[in-house]
Amino acid sequence: MFNRKNTQITGDFIKKRLNDLFIMIILIFAILLVNLWYLQIIKGHEYEQRAINNCIRSLEEEAPRGEVFDKDENLLITNRPAVNFTVIPAEIEDYHSLSYQISSIIPLEESYLINKFEQLSQRPFQAQTIVRGLEKEQIIAFEEQKYKYKGTLLTIQPERKYLYQDFAAHVLGYVNEISEEELQSSNYQYLSGGDIVGKSGIEKHYDAYLRGKKGSKEVEVDALGREILTLKSVEPVAGNDIYLTLDSELQLYIQELMTGLRGAVMVSEARTGKILAMISQPGYDPNLFNQQISIEKWEEISQSEENILCNRSIQGVYPPGSVFKLITAIAALEEGVVGLNDRVYCPGYFELGNLTFKCWRETGHGTQTFRDAISNSCNVFFYTIGQRLGIDRLNHYATMFGLGEKTAIDLPGELSGLVPSQEWKRRAFNQVWFPGDTINLSIGQGYLLTTPFQIHNMLCIITNDGNVYRQFHVDRIVSQSGQVIRKYEPEIIRKVDVSADTFRVVKEGMKKVVEEGTGFNARVEGVSLAGKTGTAQNPQGENHGWFVGFAPYQNPEICVTVFVEHGGDGSQSAAPIASDIIEHYFRQTSGQAVQLKELQ
Amino acid sequence: MSTKKTTSYVGLGQTPVNRIFSLLKHIDYSIFFIVLCLCFIGLLIIYSTTHMQATEAGSLFYVRRQLIYVLAGIVLCFLVSSIDYHEIEKIATPLYFIAVISLLYVIFFGKTTAGARRWIVIAGFDFQPSEFAKIALICFLANYFYKQREKIPYFIYFSLPFLFTIIPMLLIFRQPDLGSSMVFLAILLCMIFVAGIKWKHIIVMFLIGVASFPILWSFLKDYQKNRLILFINPNLDPLGAGYNVIQSKVAIGSGGLFGQGLFSGIQSQLKFLPAQHTDFVFSVIGEEMGFFGALLLLTLFIFVLWKGIKIAQDAPDLLGTFLATGVVAFLFFHIFINIGMAMGLIPATGLPLSFISYGGTFMISNFIAIGILFSVHIRSIFS
Repeated sequence: MFNRKNTQITGDFIKKRLNDLFIMIILIFAILLVNLWYLQIIKGHEYEQRAINNCIRSLEEEAPRGEVFDKDENLLITNRPAVNFTVIPAEIEDYHSLSYQISSIIPLEESYLINKFEQLSQRPFQAQTIVRGLEKEQIIAFEEQKYKYKGTLLTIQPERKYLYQDFAAHVLGYVNEISEEELQSSNYQYLSGGDIVGKSGIEKHYDAYLRGKKGSKEVEVDALGREILTLKSVEPVAGNDIYLTLDSELQLYIQELMTGLRGAVMVSEARTGKILAMISQPGYDPNLFNQQISIEKWEEISQSEENILCNRSIQGVYPPGSVFKLITAIAALEEGVVGLNDRVYCPGYFELGNLTFKCWRETGHGTQTFRDAISNSCNVFFYTIGQRLGIDRLNHYATMFGLGEKTAIDLPGELSGLVPSQEWKRRAFNQVWFPGDTINLSIGQGYLLTTPFQIHNMLCIITNDGNVYRQFHVDRIVSQSGQVIRKYEPEIIRKVDVSADTFRVVKEGMKKVVEEGTGFNARVEGVSLAGKTGTAQNPQGENHGWFVGFAPYQNPEICVTVFVEHGGDGSQSAAPIASDIIEHYFRQTSGQAVQLKELQ
Repeated sequence: MSTKKTTSYVGLGQTPVNRIFSLLKHIDYSIFFIVLCLCFIGLLIIYSTTHMQATEAGSLFYVRRQLIYVLAGIVLCFLVSSIDYHEIEKIATPLYFIAVISLLYVIFFGKTTAGARRWIVIAGFDFQPSEFAKIALICFLANYFYKQREKIPYFIYFSLPFLFTIIPMLLIFRQPDLGSSMVFLAILLCMIFVAGIKWKHIIVMFLIGVASFPILWSFLKDYQKNRLILFINPNLDPLGAGYNVIQSKVAIGSGGLFGQGLFSGIQSQLKFLPAQHTDFVFSVIGEEMGFFGALLLLTLFIFVLWKGIKIAQDAPDLLGTFLATGVVAFLFFHIFINIGMAMGLIPATGLPLSFISYGGTFMISNFIAIGILFSVHIRSIFS
């Protein structure tokens, strides 16, 4: 059929085929080279112009942060569009002259701008915001001379809007650009410089939920910076909404009561740990931080004597004064160092060796039983039982009620205060613990330091007979699709090991405080309440006034703590405020709903 | 043509290690040096495109990994070259089946990235079986043609290899990886051509190919169809699928004669191109190193391919010839498709550039291919 010779392949034949193959390869490479020549040499200039002028900008679109609502679903924090001044460092020819020109439009230091440009040039091709929230006149001025400013543009980005200015500022917190230290932290893993994050309050603590996901956009622009084409666009994803436990109406009422004073007030639901109101005065307007804030202004705010950014509830530490006597009383009963019918005579002073400790009533209280002593807040009685208890047991009970450590409230920056011990004093001062130190501690003075919120937490523990509820601000977190991501339920995190009888007796004493004792000014008509006043001496000046209380006595609904910094006597400064709060609360809950509109 | 070789080489030591070292003396170091130059250019470009990425491991993350791949590749290259390529007669068939099985495994259990199932994870390393399947196919076909060398001109004997090639091709096509499956076809066609297919058969094959195009078309995924359509007219969709090609051309074009310099390509540093350190690596070379840089690169590639052809021609027997041919076809096709794609001459199928693109399995399979060339070359010295 076929010729064998024709089909035989020889080495020469294969070499020829390989040569043919190589010729094909060379031909194809030649085609590639000709094409390269065409693209790079003949059309090169054109493409280069296109690369430079019709260049691609990659823009980021900030995600709107989640909105924040109060317990009645009234909107507290939202977003509104703001015009930002944005630059693309690589496109700027001379940033010194640009800074000079910009500083005539926007009242910012030239040096500040130059500094900022240098920071931004780490990501030269990324559009980055320099100045946020431009005013109308600034926008017009900029638009008029836009052609002068190569590599700059105005972008519209969401800006945080706190609807009621200084309302609950310390709870809500504020936002600002992420700091260098935060960028290093693993909590902010996917963020980059210039991103907005929560800096305090709920905004910070729940930042990961509120934050949302940035969008991005790639646009082709011409030599004048006009957008020709949108090449790619990824929509930003808004953050999750947060529903607080906060009762705005009550919060506002208390905020008005506290106007002009310094201090802190906290109101919680007694049986759940939900925080209904938390006030720290003086306050501030978180909207202030939306604009670019100059260094001077920042220093003015952060170093003001008033210290307005400090949330006094959790970031201020003060001696608790006589409210601490509740702890001394509980410890004494539990440890059996005093009987209910034991009597102590108060001559107005207490002697320890050659030291004399005064009672607050110089003429003395006379003979005092346990309940009398709570009611009258008799120092001498508590000196006596404090001395019997000794430092170790006092320290043990104070710690048990959450003093000296953070309460794990859902706000950042909480301080832990200080409950002194023999060990602590040896470390801190290289001194032994003196008996006199115990005497001071037994009435909440001396080295003892607490945050108002720790005292509030202690009050809630006593109100709940030793059940420690987690105190919290957030009821639920809801995604943009309406799905509840997290729901926070009341939760007993631990139990304080103190007998029910002890709590009963101490609470009876607290009832007597309001009925006939130092807390007389706190009484509310038609509501039975129990409480304790405190007047804390401090080296800085006028005494601090304290009042803690819960109501109604039989079936507690709310716990109230009032702290007035340098307010003087607790029974005069704090107790009347607590009275107003409790009265207002029970009047409100029995009808008359107040519209939040009045807030504005 | 010598058909059988009993190999007893002069001066070979007794222990395997000595044997390897004495064989390494005979490696063609001009190829080896050029390959290292290519790898070095690759590392530079990878650094240029990735050093701005904020990874936890820092700006050298990709470079460091690529360097490890290169070193692993070199070791494997020497190992392979020390083995007598006649061993392939024994292992070609098992190798082929292992390749097919691992490709099947990928389809069902593989790791998915960017919509394609191409990876399996072995001991913490992502491994791309399709790259090794290319080497396996080269060995298998070389062995087949060597065994059937008398009968190649007959239609039936050159159509059987089609069947063997189409199986892994379809499996890879399913991943989907259009580019890699085309590499299989390219290897087959080059080897058949060298093995002596008649011209009239080539014409018949071409006609069959044209006729089967509509059938293949129906197998393509939508994005692959889009790419083909946009290849013909990229301006149909400048925002979407045509975007990459247009921007790649702008990048290469803006490089001009001398390029814009490493690390300073406007287009490249803007990160507008996806896969700059893998599939679109040539765009970066074009922009940052210019026409001269690209010319240098092409010259280096041509040199390697020319050496490959020489080794095929000087091989002691047809098995060596076919192996070397397969390796040349493999390298050439990757270079041609990748560069052609970056310049918009060829549909964007996404094939990495030999020795340049970032990627572990691909780098190692390239070095194994070079190892096979060396193995053939060393034996031709002693024949």
